[in-house]
Amino acid sequence: MAETMHEDTVFRPKPSLPPPPNTVGVVGWLRKNLFGGPFDSILTIVGGSLIAYFAYTLYLYGIANAVWSAGSYRECLDITRGNGACWAGVSVWMNNYFYGRYPDVEQWRVNLAGVILAVWLAPFWFPKVKAKIATGISAVLTYPFLAAAMLLGGEVGWFLQIMVGIALTAFAAVWLNVAASYAGYGSLRAALMRLSGFENKDERLQKYVLIGAFVVGFVLALLFQATWDLAPVPTVNWGGLFLTLVISGIAISSALPTGVILALGRRSKMPVIRVFCTAFIELFRSVPLITILFMAVTMMPLFLPVEVNLDKLVLVIIAVCIFAAAYMAEIVRGGLQAINKGQYEAAQAMGLNYWKMMTLIIMPQALKLMIPNIVGNFIGLLKDTTLVSIIGLYDILLMAKASGQDTKWLGMHTEPFLFTAAVFFVICFCMSKYSQHLERTIGGGYGRR
Amino acid sequence: MSLETLDSNGSHIASAISDEVVIELNQVNKWFGEFHVLKDIDLTVYKGERIVICGPSGSGKSTLIRCINRLEEHQQGDIVVNGVTMDTNLKNIDAIRREVGMVFQSFNLFPHLTVLENCTLAPIWVKNMPKAEAEQVAMTLLERVKIPEQALKYPGQLSGGQQQRVAIARSLAMNPNVMLFDEPTSALDPEMISEVLDVMVGLAESGMTMLVVTHEMGFAKRVADRVIFMDQGEIVEQNTPGEFFTNPKSDRTKLFLSQILAH
Repeated sequence: MAETMHEDTVFRPKPSLPPPPNTVGVVGWLRKNLFGGPFDSILTIVGGSLIAYFAYTLYLYGIANAVWSAGSYRECLDITRGNGACWAGVSVWMNNYFYGRYPDVEQWRVNLAGVILAVWLAPFWFPKVKAKIATGISAVLTYPFLAAAMLLGGEVGWFLQIMVGIALTAFAAVWLNVAASYAGYGSLRAALMRLSGFENKDERLQKYVLIGAFVVGFVLALLFQATWDLAPVPTVNWGGLFLTLVISGIAISSALPTGVILALGRRSKMPVIRVFCTAFIELFRSVPLITILFMAVTMMPLFLPVEVNLDKLVLVIIAVCIFAAAYMAEIVRGGLQAINKGQYEAAQAMGLNYWKMMTLIIMPQALKLMIPNIVGNFIGLLKDTTLVSIIGLYDILLMAKASGQDTKWLGMHTEPFLFTAAVFFVICFCMSKYSQHLERTIGGGYGRR
Repeated sequence: MSLETLDSNGSHIASAISDEVVIELNQVNKWFGEFHVLKDIDLTVYKGERIVICGPSGSGKSTLIRCINRLEEHQQGDIVVNGVTMDTNLKNIDAIRREVGMVFQSFNLFPHLTVLENCTLAPIWVKNMPKAEAEQVAMTLLERVKIPEQALKYPGQLSGGQQQRVAIARSLAMNPNVMLFDEPTSALDPEMISEVLDVMVGLAESGMTMLVVTHEMGFAKRVADRVIFMDQGEIVEQNTPGEFFTNPKSDRTKLFLSQILAH
């Protein structure tokens, strides 16, 4: 008896049981989300019927009753009697929706420029390749000049020539780096040192090898560029989706770096920098984009000396960039404020200086928090650039409008805009999906403390 | 509470104080706006000395140690750390911070980096240590705080006690000659306090100079060479732990001790 009394009670956890049925799986999901109660069920049925009705109408208009080939809008109407879409006109104008008035025979240049950008940035998705930041920076800083020279054609100035030389060298370096990584050298630098026999030499000597390699590449690039013979295509002929992507692409890639600098400036302890950044942000955030565009195109030339004759497109791009940077600055500031004070203190206590603390500790965390806002802003920016149609740039929206004023296709308004909407939807949806993917993968993807 | 647990573990560990001065505070005053948070603080810390600072909340004890690595700026008086005078010169501040490690109440690990990266970041970017060497140092330290198997995890996956031990390893990776602890166990569940205190005891045994703000009186009794009691921005009393706990001089200290040791 004494034995049983003094024996310790052993703690045995109860076994885990499966959850009750009807709460998991398809049935559970339906019950929870669609048929949770009488009111929910009614809403589901009414909402479902409405969606089905609209989808069916759209199907009738866009596919079942639509005309796919016709010579003019009149012919379309004779067949559909107004009950179906006239995709024939859209397909005739398709080329203009994408390239504006860029000459047909020169459109390969636009395509090639796009392909070069894609190939330039592709190493981002190669797991083995390092120096991803350098790849990104080289593309952002030099690709626009290469693209400008390719797309404008004709005689380019000495500045653009030099920049194209640097851009081509950088592009070659990015892909030689990829090649070196997969050939087992680790990086382009390592490969250069191994092949030139400077592997175990002084850092300074190694630097000379790098500089030498760059100069060789640069000279080759210049020689290659001298063989170009491209017909000039002035920017007034640029248009369509291509123009939309040029403006928004430049604005998007410049918005983040300038926004970060403006946001840091606004939080700076130095009064002059803080006041300047705050004033810049507040000024350009309080003015509608269309006003900034008008100011840039009509008033800016008045302030500039007569000899300086800036292209309208350049002015528009500058205006959009400034506008985007001001908005981005506030997003970045919000992200910075979400970072715990303890992170700053821990970084400082370890002896990191301001810039190392920002780039290694604060920004990576803040940027991850900001991804949804940043991409939302980019999507907004892409759509906002359609405003340039108001000041007479033939972007995709103005092209869509123009196609309905073509004598052959007079009155065709709905179809081009539906098509434009679809194009924007595809681009924006891809951006949105990619941002969700980034949120999940960046920074280990584990919850923050 | 932990007074009992640690006392049963062993007696006071041998001190290794030399006569070399590591930290010297001379008539330090600090205000938060109008609030006078530190009043005429004089403090000399010798190499190898282990000091526990206690006192009621708002007494300025955290602010005091945060002034030592310039997380807070003092307005009057001198602070000299390792012979470098703390002033507005960023070079001096960086020189001091390189030699002074700090452990925070809320750990403040970098959530976007793995445990190993947390420990190698400062050696690589502040001391320009090669990555391989930094990782070797970090692994040795993670073994010392008994969590080498967590090296590739992210801080969010660890328990509070494990996180705080990583934070200690991260500070040690810079090979500091002084360690500051700002209430290192206050944010921890009771079951995890002892694993952190064990690491700190081990650090004390290795001869590290330590300033510890804590309410763990058992730790103070076992480890401290000197206990400092602060209230309302002043050092009210300082003494060896034996004298401090058995024979407090000021009535304020007596009241404090009776309150925290009552349960």
